[in-house]
Amino acid sequence: MSMQALNQLVARSIVDPSVVQSFSAGRMEEVISDLDFSNDMQKRLARLEAKSWAEYAVIAYRYVKAAEEITVRIQLPSPLEGLLPGQDRTKDEQAA
Amino acid sequence: MIPITREERQWFLRNLAQGLVDFMGVVEPPVPVEDLLRNPPPLYDSDFGVVDMYSNLWDATFARPPSQRGSIFVRIDLEPEERRFVLARETLSALITSKHGRAMGLFDLLLPNLRESAEYFASCLLAPTSLVGAYHEQGGRGRGVARTFRIPQSIALRRWEDFATINNK
Repeated sequence: MSMQALNQLVARSIVDPSVVQSFSAGRMEEVISDLDFSNDMQKRLARLEAKSWAEYAVIAYRYVKAAEEITVRIQLPSPLEGLLPGQDRTKDEQAA
Repeated sequence: MIPITREERQWFLRNLAQGLVDFMGVVEPPVPVEDLLRNPPPLYDSDFGVVDMYSNLWDATFARPPSQRGSIFVRIDLEPEERRFVLARETLSALITSKHGRAMGLFDLLLPNLRESAEYFASCLLAPTSLVGAYHEQGGRGRGVARTFRIPQSIALRRWEDFATINNK
C-alpha cells in the first residue's frame, strides 16, 4: 500500500497547494501521518531532506520501492517448492 | 537537482497526469483534455488556455506572453486525435512554467528531457493508468486502445506496451 499512498500524494500535489506548502514549511510529517505508510516508512519520509517537492517525491519513491522489493523477495517461494517428494505439484506434473 | 532515471521520471509524470484526471473526475475514456485547458484547476487559471492558429511550422506550442495568460497555440487543421495529443503534450510546459509548477520544482526536474517527458506525460494524461487498468480488466486489447482513448495509433501502442511493462513488474 505504501507505493499506492505515495502515488496518490504525488497526484494530489499537482492540484493541491497544501502538499507543497507543507513540504516548504518542513511539515511533511503531518501530511504523511494521514497516509498508509508503515511506521518505519513514515519516520524515514518525515526526515527526508530535499531541495524541492519534486526531488522529495523521487527520493521517497526510491525508499518505498526498495522497501517493497525487500517484502516481495521475502514472500517469494523457495526454489525447491514443488520439487520435493510427496508434493502435489510433482504428482500433477507426473500425471500430465 | 539530483540525477534521476527515466523510470523515476516516468513514474512521477504518470502520477502528475493521474492527479489532473482525478481532479476532472474522469471515470471513462476519452479524457476531455480540451475541457481541462478551458476550465483548469484554480491553481492554473493564468496558465491554461487554447488558441487556434493557422500555421505550417508546428503542430502546437505553449507560450506565455509577458503579463498575460499562458496558452497553447495549436494548428487548427489537425485531426482530432492528433489535436488531443499535442494539447496534452504542451500541457506539461504550462505546468512546469506555472507558479505552482515552479514551487514544486518541476522546472529543474523535467526541463533537461522536456520533449520526451512531455510526450510521455501526454500519453498518460490521455490514457491514465486507472482507465487503462480498467480497460485491461474488462478484456480490452492493444488494438482497441487508440479508438477507446481517442489517441493516435502510434501513441496508443507505446502506452499499451508501457502499461504492460509496469503491470508485469
